[in-house]
Amino acid sequence: MSKIEEALPRSPVIQMKFMRAILRYLLMILLAFLLFGIILLISGKDPIQSYRDIFISTFGNSRGFSEVIVGMIPMLLTAMAVALPSRVGLINVGGEGQLYIGAAFATFGALTFSHLPAWLLIPIMMLLGMLGGALWAFLPGYFKSIGLVNETITTLLMNSVAPKIIGFLIFGFWHSPMDTVKTDNFVAAARLPAFFGTRIHLGLVFGLVLLVAFWLFMKYTRWGLEMYAIWNNPQAARRNGIPVKKYLIIAMCVGGAIAGLAGMSQVSGFYGVLLLNFSMSLGFMGFMICWLSGGDPLGIVVMSFVVSVIFTGGNLLQLTRGLPFAVINILLAFTLFVVLASPTIFKGKKS
Amino acid sequence: MSLLSILGVLSSAIFSGTSLLYTTLGEVIDERAGIVNLGLEGVLLVSASSGFAVTSITGNPYLGILVAMLAGGLMNLVLGYLVITRKANQLASGLALMFFGFGLSALIGKSYVGVKITSLPKILLPGLAGLPPLYSSLFRFDLLIFLVIPAAILVWWLLYRTRWGLGLRAVGENADTAFASGRDPRLIRYQALFVGGMLVGLGAAHLSIAYAMNWTEYMTGGRGFIAVALVIFSKWHPLRAIVGALVFSAAVAFQLLLQSSGLQVSPFLLDTIPYILTLVVLIAWGGNRKHSAPASLGRVYQGSE
Amino acid sequence: MKNKSYLILAICLSFVVMLSACGPAATEPVTEVATEAPTEVATEAPAAEPCLIIGALYGGPMNDAGYNQAMHEAVMAIKTNIPCVEIIEAENVPDEAGATTTMQNMIDQGAKLIFPTAFNHQYPALTLSQSNPDVIFEHAGGWEMGANFANFFGEPPDGWYLMGVAAGMMTTSNKIGFVAAFPLGWTLTFVNAFELGVQSVNPEAQTIVSYTFAWGDATKDADTTNALINQGCDVITMHVDSPATIISTAESRSVYSIGFQNLAAQQFAPEYWISGTGFTLGGTLTWLASMVLDGTWTPIFVRCGIDDGCMAIAPFGPRVPQEVKDLVAEKQAEISAGTLVVFKGPIVDQDGTIRVAEGEVLSSEVMGSVDWFVQGVIGSPK
Repeated sequence: MSKIEEALPRSPVIQMKFMRAILRYLLMILLAFLLFGIILLISGKDPIQSYRDIFISTFGNSRGFSEVIVGMIPMLLTAMAVALPSRVGLINVGGEGQLYIGAAFATFGALTFSHLPAWLLIPIMMLLGMLGGALWAFLPGYFKSIGLVNETITTLLMNSVAPKIIGFLIFGFWHSPMDTVKTDNFVAAARLPAFFGTRIHLGLVFGLVLLVAFWLFMKYTRWGLEMYAIWNNPQAARRNGIPVKKYLIIAMCVGGAIAGLAGMSQVSGFYGVLLLNFSMSLGFMGFMICWLSGGDPLGIVVMSFVVSVIFTGGNLLQLTRGLPFAVINILLAFTLFVVLASPTIFKGKKS
Repeated sequence: MSLLSILGVLSSAIFSGTSLLYTTLGEVIDERAGIVNLGLEGVLLVSASSGFAVTSITGNPYLGILVAMLAGGLMNLVLGYLVITRKANQLASGLALMFFGFGLSALIGKSYVGVKITSLPKILLPGLAGLPPLYSSLFRFDLLIFLVIPAAILVWWLLYRTRWGLGLRAVGENADTAFASGRDPRLIRYQALFVGGMLVGLGAAHLSIAYAMNWTEYMTGGRGFIAVALVIFSKWHPLRAIVGALVFSAAVAFQLLLQSSGLQVSPFLLDTIPYILTLVVLIAWGGNRKHSAPASLGRVYQGSE
Repeated sequence: MKNKSYLILAICLSFVVMLSACGPAATEPVTEVATEAPTEVATEAPAAEPCLIIGALYGGPMNDAGYNQAMHEAVMAIKTNIPCVEIIEAENVPDEAGATTTMQNMIDQGAKLIFPTAFNHQYPALTLSQSNPDVIFEHAGGWEMGANFANFFGEPPDGWYLMGVAAGMMTTSNKIGFVAAFPLGWTLTFVNAFELGVQSVNPEAQTIVSYTFAWGDATKDADTTNALINQGCDVITMHVDSPATIISTAESRSVYSIGFQNLAAQQFAPEYWISGTGFTLGGTLTWLASMVLDGTWTPIFVRCGIDDGCMAIAPFGPRVPQEVKDLVAEKQAEISAGTLVVFKGPIVDQDGTIRVAEGEVLSSEVMGSVDWFVQGVIGSPK
């Protein structure tokens, strides 16, 4: 990659960096697509046709494109749930669990307060969702801050516990009379409104607003700067009077809250019910997106978009090429492999 | 609780715990060398599907087991390439491997869903032939079950009684020091990943060829992550891993027993117990340095160029 | 060394992936539909325009030897009977969001008749039916109806009763294991019908129900089957998507099995198979498709049983004695004649409450929302 950079002509520094970054991303995505094309060839499918299918179904019509945006929404949030704690050096792999618990809390709100009007109910559900996610992230954050256990392991374990709690709640208390795998459909007031007849729901606004807020926060507020100090050199930060422990716990909880909001937006905006195991590794995909983009808000938007294109397009692949839908994970994995194998992307990120 | 029920729980625990134990043993080796593999789920799936496919094509389950072991080793080598040679972050690489495994296993296994295979023969535990069939059928085990405890002992012996194992553990504690004392951390880690991967493949083979005798997408159901938890639960020691895997599987079997005796405890809640136990154990032992993780677990070895 | 090992790795991975290009001789690969010039495997001459494009989606894999395969076979029967149709299939569509996207894609591909076959495809299909009035949706197993939305299913309870009769006669431990996915109304009805059949020949025998909480989790199926056998059950049956693992496990422990969903399940238990009941809806689906083709389709709530050809009883296994076969045949005749009604009162539940009074019959509308077990069933109905 660096050879390509050297070969490019000189030009004003800022513009060049941006262009170089775009070019780098593009080349990597191309390489991943090439590798996946080889897999397709080996399995006897036509790669050109397959890629045409993917692109036609995502960019070829407005509905397909709107589906891509819909798929992006939870990933924007779960990626941020990893990005914010990472700014103080925390590794939050617990997005999956925090998402589920946030969804559970929000469902509780939807089912208990179903008589309230939307302008009250939705904010209540949002708060509940964030509370749930934050609670689920609290223990790992706390134990990390007192130096007892690594948050990577604790968040992973709590990931496994969360869907079982959801199962318990659905089957024990909330299941709809006709189908025990999910709750009753949410009342209209509990559903996030969608735009222009597509399935794009208000969660998109949450995601974009939070991304901007995140960027502003890190760059321009005192807290953002202190977080940077902690990430850079925790001992020095502590000596300078920054309450590191508090930051660790709060960062973890805020990350969890954002993931919880993602959960809420999925059950309220997308599904309209609480479903068992509704998350198709959304938390882990958020983790990957955060890594692919280096925790940068703009990068998160771009990579969420790319990942969503892959999955939305992959759906059509199943119908036209006879490939199992799960195969599209290979394309995602190759994209990840290619980026992971090129460490120059991760300038300044601790491993 | 009749004797039959209790023995039944033990039997079920052994049956379903075998694949878990193999996987945990493989991960113990890897983590002792300093590499954490979050992609175990993907490795298991690819091994299970390729082993099952080969068994179906050739009609020979032993060949299927060998292929599954090889597949596991190869998948781990992919992780090795990313993490050792390209120095990528272990967690991200592991997760990427997991997604890769989801897709690859679906591709491999697609034509073999619902196919009937010749499974491994079941042999009665020696000395129990005198029991009535209801009891003796509890203890008809296949080859892989018989081999799992010896495998754990083998892993223990490898780690603690060979020079290779010593080097591996040294690399896991501090790769730079190991390098300074004349070992090649990169080579050792690759080897650890391959050997560990083969054990994971063995676990996957037992699952699809001997236990479920079937292949469906995502059939491993989180076992990969359970294994990562179990490694910690057993404090990175292969013999303690036996206890861990057994306890975990017994909990599942016990929960099934409770269900059919009409007890009204939610099976979902019962399912969480092993994880909560692991968390508690972690927190309780967290401050104690004697039995903690290999010190360089998860860190990238920069090496000297 | 690095480059060489990477090369070897790539070769090995390619080899592993090439396994996907092979397949066992018996199973046919998925019918591929070429939307562009058909360079792929085509089962017919690509020249003519199809008379009808049909989309079908399944909750699990099409070759699971169970429910999904039964539905798949029924859909493919349409093509055998009406060769000019074109069929687009999607498998492993488990949840609602995926179902919506998939059905939408099918509509984009020109499908005018869609079969959502999984239980939870119903509401996405209903929603889409409202925004696509020129596409007809036939859902399997639900209850909603609309202008272009209807419903079809077999009637399993009668078959279950007959299976219960067979099981009741074959069991020696008087404990029969039932592996169920979820405590759904229909599942409970099947269990009840089964146990009623068991009790009609063997009043002491009990059915023990255990849930896996998944429609197609092979390892949970194996775990649950083993647990039931370890409790003393010597006959196993099930209501999950695919009976394959459960039956294989029972067979490997020398325990009798009774299949459900698909008659193909018998291959997994060459020795200890008793019988089974499965869906044979090919004729029904062909009938529905032909109505769509000649424009005479109207929304009909289709339920059909053994006599209509929608459900079938599997051949008996080698260990089943003639007297059992005769008794089952006798009872089957009685059900056809109407002299034997499975859910005729009095029927008492596990706590002793009378659920169906003397002289009354449980109606089929209620069967889908049953939340109790008959006496003699061990297990929780919730």
